[in-house]
Amino acid sequence: MASRTVAKDIITLRGSAAIVSEFFGYAANSILYNRGVYPEESFAKVKKYGLPMLLTQDEGVKSFIANLTAQLSEWLEAGQLQRVVLVIMSKATNEVLERWNFSIETDSEVVEKGVSKEKSDKEIMREIQAIMRQIASSITYLPCLDEPCVFDVLAYTDKDVAVPFTWIESDPKLIANPQMVKLHSFDTKIHKVDTLVSYKNDEWDEQ
Amino acid sequence: MECRAENAEKESELLKEQLKELKKQLNEYLHQKSEAEKKSLSFTPQEATSSEASILVKNLQEELRNYESEVREARKLKSSHENIELLKEKLLEEKGRRERAESELLKLPEIQLSKEKLEDELSSWKLMIKDIPGVSCSDDIPVKFASLQKEVIESMMKVGEANARLKQIEVALDAAELGKQNAETEAALTKEKSEVSKSEVKRIELMLSLVTEERDQLRNVVNELKKQKNAEAGDEMAKGTLVQELESSLVKKDCCIKELESSLSEQKEINNRQHNELKLLNERLNNEARRIKSLERESDRLRSEISLLESKLGHGDFSTANTKVLRMVNTLAVDNEAKQTIEALRTELQKTKEKLEAVEELKRQSADAGKSVDSYISGKIVQYKEQIATLEKREERYKTVFADRISVFRRACCELFGYKIVMDEHQRSNGIPVTRFTLQSIYAQSDDEKLEFEYESGNTNIVANDYTLQPEISHQVEIFIRKLNSIPAFTANLTVESFNRRTIS
Repeated sequence: MASRTVAKDIITLRGSAAIVSEFFGYAANSILYNRGVYPEESFAKVKKYGLPMLLTQDEGVKSFIANLTAQLSEWLEAGQLQRVVLVIMSKATNEVLERWNFSIETDSEVVEKGVSKEKSDKEIMREIQAIMRQIASSITYLPCLDEPCVFDVLAYTDKDVAVPFTWIESDPKLIANPQMVKLHSFDTKIHKVDTLVSYKNDEWDEQ
Repeated sequence: MECRAENAEKESELLKEQLKELKKQLNEYLHQKSEAEKKSLSFTPQEATSSEASILVKNLQEELRNYESEVREARKLKSSHENIELLKEKLLEEKGRRERAESELLKLPEIQLSKEKLEDELSSWKLMIKDIPGVSCSDDIPVKFASLQKEVIESMMKVGEANARLKQIEVALDAAELGKQNAETEAALTKEKSEVSKSEVKRIELMLSLVTEERDQLRNVVNELKKQKNAEAGDEMAKGTLVQELESSLVKKDCCIKELESSLSEQKEINNRQHNELKLLNERLNNEARRIKSLERESDRLRSEISLLESKLGHGDFSTANTKVLRMVNTLAVDNEAKQTIEALRTELQKTKEKLEAVEELKRQSADAGKSVDSYISGKIVQYKEQIATLEKREERYKTVFADRISVFRRACCELFGYKIVMDEHQRSNGIPVTRFTLQSIYAQSDDEKLEFEYESGNTNIVANDYTLQPEISHQVEIFIRKLNSIPAFTANLTVESFNRRTIS
């Protein structure tokens, strides 16, 4: 959980990184559940952000997401993370079907000088809650994933970042001529996260 | 395969029967042998005396050897029987393999379908590649991507510049708007001033008209007074002063009028100047408004450009100059597949173990299986040798038949066309093989009367020799072969000539 300083509305770089990386963990779980990448029965309900959230019980996926959030937290604290993308691909063809794009803007002053910012915890939670609601409701407009799918996580980092052991350099796995839907964003005053989902255009074949 | 198997089964049945018979025979022979041995033993004491007995023994021994060889054969048969069992097992395995292959074959259309789909996709990609300007093959795409990325970076830079320009323009716009407002207030002020001036002019004009009226009245009065003066000559002196006064006042009034007129013209000048100023300001105002419009247009354009680039960024494009993309190694799907594969391999291993045990069991049962295989192979060799011998015989027969037929054909040719034809192969000095035909007329008067032709890839040419060099013949060669290009005409003519010569002689 996010560590806080004594005053409740003061937020530090470390605290912000913790909030954002935790958000990614829950967002990834929610996407995997709502998009049916893993079976419904492999998820369990918990309460978070004032919402019932679903967390995977599959040991493999669980440890994958735990490792992911740990690494993201590290990069967020160093201000080296520009973007995180959860890519959903066809298992059979490896074609990219959806890209869940989380762009991150980091306040460089905070990273360089270590100053803290002021924003209420409640306000941040409210903003995250809005995004989570939007992720859950995305099934209403996203095309149906009617084939077995797999997922990948991409991180857009600064050029000088050393590649960790469990990561490799990759292509951005873009979708040609995608449809894009911008979701809400949230801001800890240190990290601003913009959410956008782009997906394969169904009409592409007809064009 | 199945046919072979059935044959093998039949063969095995036959062999089994033979085996049984041979066993029976063997038993009989063994029985006879033991009896013969007994006999021989009983005959032994008389051996020295009886030569018949020794012959008998020899015969018996020979018979014994025969039996032994038959026993060996029987053993061979037995081993071949075992071999058949092995083959049966192999057959079963082959059947299984065939079934597997058939099931794979069923999948073939699906695979072909997917292959076609992939080919279609590939062709569409190729078409797309063709559509991309400056890309002729797939190798160009990375280059194109690199150039596009460069373009994106450049356009980002341009956006930055455009943003800066936009800001500048916005600042200029603000300043212009401020100027416009100032100009407007100034214009309003000037308008007010001009209104004031106009009203003043009007006032002055009114004053002027009043003064003019007064002057006219005074003139009338003066005229009246002058009339009166004429009438009242006596009063002239007293009234003269009054007139002078009045005239002086008139002059004064005139001066006043002139002054007013000059001030009026001045006011008019001022008014004109202000009008001009107003026009100038209006013009400036219009110019500013136009500039504002163009700036607004440019800002709209830049905004659309920015939104386009933002959408590109949202899509996932990035600048390689300061960003790199990392992927977390995801082995979840692979792990799952690996688990399944391990499971499948385990079951297969189990099956293989079972099979191995069965094979070992079989091995124990037939320790000399290897030998039986050898005998099987040698049996096959014998079979093939027999086949070869048959084929060789057939070939010989064909050769004989061919020789017969060809001699008939040659004789017929000779009878029909009047020439004996001998065909042989020659090699030229340069090593190229050539077929030579030597023709001798049946009406030839000497052995030297021979015509030689060389046949090479469809062309027949006459070869010069002593006979054809004779003037008469060479003349005919010249006419029929060289000029008329007809060897049959030449040979026919020669035949007729030879025939005539023969009959005449």
